[in-house]
Amino acid sequence: MDFPIAGVTISPLFLIVIGFGVGLLGGFFGVGGGFIAGPMLFLSGVPMNFVVGTDLAHMTGKSVVAARRHRTLGHVDFRLGFFMVIGTVVGVEIGARLIEYLEGRGQVDQVVGIAYVVILLLISAFTAWESIQALRMIRRDSLDVKDVLGFQGITRRMHQLRLWPMVSFPQSGIESVSLWVVLGVGMITGILAGFLGVGGGFIRMPMLVYLVGVPTHVAVGTDLFEIVISAGYGTLTHALKGNVDILIALVMQTGAAVGAQIGAVSTRYFAGPRIRLLFSILPLIGALLVIYRLISGVEF
Amino acid sequence: MNPTIKRQIRNFMIEMVIYGGLVLVYFLVILRFLGDWLFDLFNNNLLVYAVTGLILILAQSVILDWLTTFIVRLFGLERLE
Repeated sequence: MDFPIAGVTISPLFLIVIGFGVGLLGGFFGVGGGFIAGPMLFLSGVPMNFVVGTDLAHMTGKSVVAARRHRTLGHVDFRLGFFMVIGTVVGVEIGARLIEYLEGRGQVDQVVGIAYVVILLLISAFTAWESIQALRMIRRDSLDVKDVLGFQGITRRMHQLRLWPMVSFPQSGIESVSLWVVLGVGMITGILAGFLGVGGGFIRMPMLVYLVGVPTHVAVGTDLFEIVISAGYGTLTHALKGNVDILIALVMQTGAAVGAQIGAVSTRYFAGPRIRLLFSILPLIGALLVIYRLISGVEF
Repeated sequence: MNPTIKRQIRNFMIEMVIYGGLVLVYFLVILRFLGDWLFDLFNNNLLVYAVTGLILILAQSVILDWLTTFIVRLFGLERLE
C-alpha cells in the first residue's frame, strides 16, 4: 500500500503486526513501545523524521486504551502524572525543534539513529543489571518481590533532597520529594519523546521506580498516562512541522488495541523485578535493528 | 492445561477472528478513502492536518476498544481478565 505523505510503500499487514507487538509491550511493561516500533519503521524505509512523528501519533492512540485499563486496576497516580506533564511538554518541544534543525541540515537519519542505539543499549544494560541484583536480594534475604529495588540508596537520597517546593504522592506511598526531581524526570523523557519519537516510557519507568521511588505497578500505569500527554503533544508539534504520516499511524493502531488488552492482563502473572528483567531485552532488540539499517542501508 | 488459561486462549482466539474481520472491512472502506483526503490536507493546511490527525487517532483507538468490548459482551464471552 502506498503512503504518499511519507513517500513509502509498506504492507499494511506488516504495520498491523508492529502495532499488535507494541500494543502488547505497552500493556505489559507500561511503555509506548516506540523503541521497537521506531526501528521497525526505519527498517521498512520510512524517513527518520517521519518515523519520529508517526510513531508518536500511533502511540497516542494506543496508550489511551492501555492507560484506561491500568486506571481501572488503580495503577495510575494522577497527581504525579499531572506534575510530570509540565516538564514533559517543555522537553517534547525541545526534542521536536532539534529534529527540525537536523532535518534542515540533512543529518536526521544518522544522528537520531546513533542516539537511538546509544540510549537503548544503556537502558538495556542498566535495567538488566539492576533486576539481577534485585532478584539476588530476594533469594538471599527472602524479601517481598514487589518491594525490592536494587537501587534503594538512590531513591532514599532523592527523597532526602530538600529543594523547595516539596510535594507528596500518597497513592505511590511517597511522603515528600522535591518537585524538581519530578519535573526533571518529565523533562528528560520529554526530550527523548520529541527527539526519538518514543513515548519515553523505557526511561521514565526506570526513573520513576529508581529515582522517585514509585512502586513498579503504579509506575507502569502512571507512565502510560504520561505517554498519552507527551505523545499527544508530540504528534501535534511534529505534524505542524510536516513529520507525521497519520495514515501509517492509523493502520498500526488497528493492531494495537488487541495487543494492549492482552499485555495489561499479563502483568498480574509477573512480579516487579521479573518485569524489569524481561523489559531489559527489548531495548537491545531495538538497538540491533537500528544498527542493521545504519550499517547495511537495507530496507525491508 | 489450567482451565482459566484455556478459557482465556479460547476467548482471545474468538476475539481475534471477530476483530480481524472488522479491521479488514474498516481498512478497505475507511482508510483507503481517507488516504487521498489526508494527503490533500497535508499539502494544503498543516494546522488542520495536525488537529485532524490527533482527533482521528484518538477517536479510532477509543472506538476500536469500545467495539471489541461490545462484541465480547454481545457474544457472551468473558473478557481476557
